Amino acid sequence: MTAALLTLADSRLPAGGHIHSGGVEQAIAAGVLTDPGSLAVFLRRRLATSGAVAAGLAAAACRAVDATDPVAPLAALDAEADARTPSPALRAASRQQGRGLVRVGSRAWPHPAWAALPAQPHHPLALGVAAATGGLTPRDAAHAAAYLSISGPATAAQRLLAMDPITVAAVTARLAPEVDEVAEASVEDLPAATDPLLDLLAELHAARTDRFFAS
Amino acid sequence: MRTLVEVVARCDARGRTVLPVVRASGQLAVRRTGPEAVHLVATAFGPLGGDDVEIRLVVEAGARLAVHSVAAAVVLAARGESPPSRQVVHAEVAGVLHLAPEPTVVTARADHRAELHVQLSDDAELTATEQVLLGRVGEEPGRWTGTTRVERDGRPLVHTTIGLGPGAPAWLPPVAPRAYVSTVWIGGPQSEVATGVDAVRLPLPGGWVGTAWGDELHEAVSRLASVTPRPVDELVEVAR
Repeated sequence: MTAALLTLADSRLPAGGHIHSGGVEQAIAAGVLTDPGSLAVFLRRRLATSGAVAAGLAAAACRAVDATDPVAPLAALDAEADARTPSPALRAASRQQGRGLVRVGSRAWPHPAWAALPAQPHHPLALGVAAATGGLTPRDAAHAAAYLSISGPATAAQRLLAMDPITVAAVTARLAPEVDEVAEASVEDLPAATDPLLDLLAELHAARTDRFFAS
Repeated sequence: MRTLVEVVARCDARGRTVLPVVRASGQLAVRRTGPEAVHLVATAFGPLGGDDVEIRLVVEAGARLAVHSVAAAVVLAARGESPPSRQVVHAEVAGVLHLAPEPTVVTARADHRAELHVQLSDDAELTATEQVLLGRVGEEPGRWTGTTRVERDGRPLVHTTIGLGPGAPAWLPPVAPRAYVSTVWIGGPQSEVATGVDAVRLPLPGGWVGTAWGDELHEAVSRLASVTPRPVDELVEVAR
């Protein structure tokens, strides 16, 4: 079962996450992300807000797969995800990554629950269903979501700032206790933590024509 | 101390708003200041750490209610280990609710939790503005955590929690503002995105949520005004 969790959190899983920077590209443009120290701050900020929200939704979606009819609970969770993501740019990024994960997940772990998801589900919902169909628990889903909230953005920062990969890996690895803490706190809850700075950066980024990343 | 405020606004047979229930106990009094307006008046210092305020508002179909306060709320820490203070607003709105209290100033060591839960019926209208300032002049900032959840016919329109102040996970330099302002408006068409300097307006089903921040409250208020389609005077009663 651990292998399924590692697969879900692996950046090589072709779910389309690599084209998203999680706000990093705009944070660099705004001058709030410049070096490993400010990268750690940015990742911590993201983990505590969108990471916590994603972890809660992923755990709940994983749990919803056990329902007799998961359609209604998954639709309700999709509405909760929208309510926690008022930024259209962040919604679009989440749904785009959700669709990518459905594409690979439904082939990897065929299960009727995939058909119960809305057409372009928010990414944490797809992640929760992937975890359930891969034989994982809601706790595993929360951990994968929390970890993914920082791993992709860290790689994006490395590419955009030409940072030393070993330094970036170390920054990410050192956040592990906080990733675990956020995941554990979100397993039985639906956090709504939000960061208006990330909303603003996402909308400024979406309006740009000279960007490398989709979000 | 526990404080409970209850206000019910109803539309009478002639289409005018009446307030059949205007009640308060604890550290707030409530005064009728217009046919469809009330002001909250603090009758004690605080809120202090450990204080608990609940405000229940009902605006029935066809009625209008505006809720203001006469002065900023200055949140103070209790002596020693200070527990958080809480203020929860529950509103059921079928008419029009305008909620625009004066700013909340969270002094050093204080930890304030504000919650707003609104249930809207189909054609209800809501304007809710929150103004927060961390610390008095020359003072360390306190902690403020604000949760807003608005539902219409059981469906969540917005649900967000913002944490400000030292120790709040998303309040980290270089972006750790002392002043924060936010308005939720529901009651018309969905609005477009607008961005400004440290200000953003995001669409909600039937409205928008605007947020702005800065070092000073007046700065945050004018930044909010730069991204909202309504004049700022309608949203807040700014200390000018």
